[in-house]
Amino acid sequence: MPELTAEVVLEKLTTGEKIDSSDLRGLVLSQAVLEGASFRRCDLDGANLEGARLARTLFKNASLREAFLVGADLREANLESADLEGANLQGARLAGANLNRANLEGANLQGADLSGARLTHALLESAQLGGARLVAAQLGHALLADADLTTADLDDADLGNADLRGANLDEASLARAQLRDALLEGAIVTRADLSGADLRRAVLKGARLEGTTLTGARVHGLVGTGNPSDGIVAEWVDDAADDAVPLRVSGADALALFAGRSAPAGPSNKRYFGRGDVLRNAHLEFEPGAAIEIDSLFEHCTIALGAATELCVGKGGVLSGCQIVGPGTIAIHGKFIEHESPGISGATQLVVSSGGSLVAAIRQPPEATRFAFEPGCFLRIKIQRAETARTTGAESPRSMRSGGQP
Amino acid sequence: MTSPTAGVHERKTTIEEGTHLKGSLVSKCAVEVKGRIEGDVTAPALFVAASGAVHGRVKVGEIRSQGELSGEFDANVVQLSGAVRDNTVIRAKSLEVKLAPPEGKTQVVFGECSLEVGVEPTQLDAQSRAPAVRALGARPPTDANGS
Repeated sequence: MPELTAEVVLEKLTTGEKIDSSDLRGLVLSQAVLEGASFRRCDLDGANLEGARLARTLFKNASLREAFLVGADLREANLESADLEGANLQGARLAGANLNRANLEGANLQGADLSGARLTHALLESAQLGGARLVAAQLGHALLADADLTTADLDDADLGNADLRGANLDEASLARAQLRDALLEGAIVTRADLSGADLRRAVLKGARLEGTTLTGARVHGLVGTGNPSDGIVAEWVDDAADDAVPLRVSGADALALFAGRSAPAGPSNKRYFGRGDVLRNAHLEFEPGAAIEIDSLFEHCTIALGAATELCVGKGGVLSGCQIVGPGTIAIHGKFIEHESPGISGATQLVVSSGGSLVAAIRQPPEATRFAFEPGCFLRIKIQRAETARTTGAESPRSMRSGGQP
Repeated sequence: MTSPTAGVHERKTTIEEGTHLKGSLVSKCAVEVKGRIEGDVTAPALFVAASGAVHGRVKVGEIRSQGELSGEFDANVVQLSGAVRDNTVIRAKSLEVKLAPPEGKTQVVFGECSLEVGVEPTQLDAQSRAPAVRALGARPPTDANGS
């Protein structure tokens, strides 16, 4: 028998009296309006809260084992460290709720809305999350082993370091999800959408990936399935270790990564110019697809890039009085100072990282350059459009430097 | 990061979508532009929504723009997406433009414009000092006697 009846609970809450730590086992409060109330440390095992309005309600450290919460409104409720083992939360609204360290082992969350909910370190082993909405939910370090996540929407969710061993993610959507260091051994990920997901150092050993979309996924350090990668959809993946410069791997090489074969060590036609080297008055042409890294001093050199060529000016690299032409991608972590305008012409992508310096006019190709500038970079640049640059002969950026210079 | 003007940002002057303002705007609180401003803006911060456009001379502490900019912009911190039109100059201590996904829409479309970002490096490393100083049009470094 519960310590308090439903009527007494409602009366106490209406008058503002505290009921924290009360024994409320098996209490029937279905459809009750209890928004913002506090059930902190209460024992609500087996309680019936079906359809109850519990938005912003405090259940911190409460016990709700086997509780019946079907269709309950628990938006932004605080269920931190609550025990919900075996609870029925089918169709419950839990958007923005705090479920950090909650025990949801074997709980039924089918069709529940957990968008933006915080579930870090939550125990969700064997939980039923089929069709649940978990967009942008925070599930870092959560235990989801053997959980049913079929058709669940996990777009932009954070599952870093989560344990998903043996979980069923068939037809789940995990676009742009964070799965860094996640364990997916033996998981069923068939027909799931993981496009743009971050799978760096994730373990996929024995996972099933038939019909899975992985285009644009980040895969550096990933441990593959060990099985043939038939049926995987991955036009390209990003094998870069960090965020600075993407390292695209496509075709069979990309698929091989998921199978667990050793990752290709970037393009085979890689060139490196080391620190301390000096190159003057040279004309360099690089074939399409080449990857060039410069940590040297280049003076008055012309560099012609082929299509999809990657040029990286490393932190120690200085390109002084140089010119880069052609449809490659350029990342500047060091320094680039032009001699003739435009210093850079036709680049499809130009990234200047924090600590990078760029003093140049940049002529974009007709389809426009994709720019990225990190806070902390130094820029004195004049951007030109392809069509006008050809006809007007735009002015060098030196003219705009004159104000601050001796 | 806590903005030094966070307190001021709580109140905003908003130019709603469909509103077209011509003339100078001086505000002690942040200005949010969902419509269009043609003229000068002085404020602690300027937020330009995707539907917004600012054409003129702007002096603010912070700019966050997803809309259209043209003219002269002076700010400490600038975060850009959207479009920067022809004949635009952006001067800032810090600029951030994020890289758009390869298949996605370009984060910022730049017309013919100038970006002057960051403080001139005063101490370049040994490898870069000489060429950098030459290229920036300064006198070469002198010794202790000024020779």
